[in-house]
Amino acid sequence: MSEQLVHPAPGRAKRRNPLAYFVRFQSLIGLVLVLAGGVVFSPRRHGQILFLAPDNIGNIIRSISETGIIALGMTFVIISAGIDLSVGAILGLSSVLTASLMINAGWGIVPTLVAVLVAGTLFGTMQGAISTRFGLQPFIVTLAGLQAARGLALVASHDNFINISYGHGPGLAPPAFGVLGDRLFHNIFPVAALVFLALAVVAALVLNTTRFGRYIYAVGGNERAARLSGIPVARVKIAVYAITGLASAVAGIVHAGQFSFGSPNDGAGYELTAIAAVVIGGTDLFGGSGSMVGTIAGSIMLGALANILQLNDVSAAMQLLATGAIIVAAAALQSFVSRRDREALR
Amino acid sequence: MLTAALPALALAAAVPFAGGAPAHAAGKPIAKVCGPKHHYVIGFSQVDFTEPYRQHVDNEMQQLVKKYPQFKLVIADGQASDNTQTSQVENFITQRVDMLFISPYESAPLTPVVSRAYKAGIPVVELDRKTLGKDYTTFVGGDNFQIAKQAGEYAAKTLLPQGGDIAILEGLPSSSPAIERLNGFKAGIAGNPKLKVVGVQPVDWMEDKAVTVFSAMLQAHPDIKLVYTSNDLAAAGAYIAAKGAGKLGQVKIIGTDGLPGPAGGIRAVAEGQWAATYVYPTGAAQALHIAKQVLIDCASSVAKTVTVPTQRVDPANAKGLYAKLKF
Repeated sequence: MSEQLVHPAPGRAKRRNPLAYFVRFQSLIGLVLVLAGGVVFSPRRHGQILFLAPDNIGNIIRSISETGIIALGMTFVIISAGIDLSVGAILGLSSVLTASLMINAGWGIVPTLVAVLVAGTLFGTMQGAISTRFGLQPFIVTLAGLQAARGLALVASHDNFINISYGHGPGLAPPAFGVLGDRLFHNIFPVAALVFLALAVVAALVLNTTRFGRYIYAVGGNERAARLSGIPVARVKIAVYAITGLASAVAGIVHAGQFSFGSPNDGAGYELTAIAAVVIGGTDLFGGSGSMVGTIAGSIMLGALANILQLNDVSAAMQLLATGAIIVAAAALQSFVSRRDREALR
Repeated sequence: MLTAALPALALAAAVPFAGGAPAHAAGKPIAKVCGPKHHYVIGFSQVDFTEPYRQHVDNEMQQLVKKYPQFKLVIADGQASDNTQTSQVENFITQRVDMLFISPYESAPLTPVVSRAYKAGIPVVELDRKTLGKDYTTFVGGDNFQIAKQAGEYAAKTLLPQGGDIAILEGLPSSSPAIERLNGFKAGIAGNPKLKVVGVQPVDWMEDKAVTVFSAMLQAHPDIKLVYTSNDLAAAGAYIAAKGAGKLGQVKIIGTDGLPGPAGGIRAVAEGQWAATYVYPTGAAQALHIAKQVLIDCASSVAKTVTVPTQRVDPANAKGLYAKLKF
């Protein structure tokens, strides 16, 4: 949602209002449309709509839980007018570290989680610091970070994958960690999905209710004005990359727990899905406007779309084409409205 | 008549699901709904659609399933991703398919969801690659260890009895065939102490990786006399690398898969590009036979492992096989 700093000329205001409301809620409207399509096109089993079955909803959210967690962090970065391409690689590094610390080094759950979260946050912080201190484009810095993280993952895993087996004794992980692969409430709702939903609430609260959240919009909207208003721009920029590092580390832990497996190739390509979810959610790639609720809706929309097509045995190609079309539509809508915004100010 | 019976059958099928207990007790049919009069949906979760071996499997499946008019086969593309393949198996569970066929991309990550399907009462046939543990009905596949051991013995006794440097290009190390083929080949060459393994690298079943990796190996070890690869695609990559290094006459190539068709290994051996390859049959016929036993014949138990046989393709039989087999 963009912050209006200047009111439009009175005569123009009425023409803008319906479209502006539509765009503000574009991602939610899109999600409702996709869910409605899911219900309409859902296969039925003696009357029950499969798409709405509780375990199917759980499946949808589970399937987007990792890219969704990354997308939550990515929202902060994109609103601040940055980008982070290393998130998938940090997920891989984190899942390898998680597996390696518990299986090879015999650490307990809490020390492992702390170490992995700190490592991810530090990696992100480093990327943010390099970008701000040396004035380098985040695209370049995080692209380099992607390679570095993959390399570190290969080193930590000795070029191999690490199976996680549970039990007590050397070479086994504490059984409690396996909860990430479980389902609660009569075996219906995946824990990984619950982790995503909990973090989504936290992320939305941070962005919408804290001063830090407002700083991020300011820095992304007009960095110079933000600096002149006394906002600690460099610290904000570093902080958002720390957030994506942290989010990717969480996603990596969830990945290792869900699949009982840590591999240096984990998370390959996830950065693009996360960016897609953020863009579909209505966030402007150039920064300054966007919403966490939009990202959450965008993530779920992508998962629901894949689910509808799979339940109807439609080929994966259609899913990719549809996703591409939705991304372009969302971005075009966003650009159309910001153009109208700028015209209204003249 | 059938349409009238279906709602009743569906209701009957739903009751055991509500209970949640596994339905594989001795004496009772494995499948909850079985018999020759109904129609069944078999969901096949395939690793990806882009590898030639996978396409070969899919083609054979689609050809052979026509012999069973009661079966409807749905093949899902796992896109070589644990998350995508897990989602697809979850969707098959939601759709309550009558049987699940799966070739898991990686063994450990797909085990939880396959186990869920099995425990929900869906019979599971694993093709060519296994998950961990025992939650499946039948595994249909070649004995990768034996096939690779045969390749190793062929290398040790026939191709390179005088010894020399050899290299191995492995498949994706997190999948069961890669591990078994590596260990089998090493066991096969153990009989000839003059053979020295100078390089072992994974190329993840891919041709472009094989070109890069083997080119580097040839730089580091210029006297490599033989390379064993885990699949035909990797052998094709090794051929390109050897050609680029000008060492075609020096390096003997052994592939695995023995795919028919113009891009496959059988043709490569027929044309003298490779020394040999080993046919790894798709197992489609055997998997469908298991499905017939479980779903149509109401079997109460079936074989846990069905091993499909292999055949060596070498210059003596390659031309004949190429003319005979279709992709």
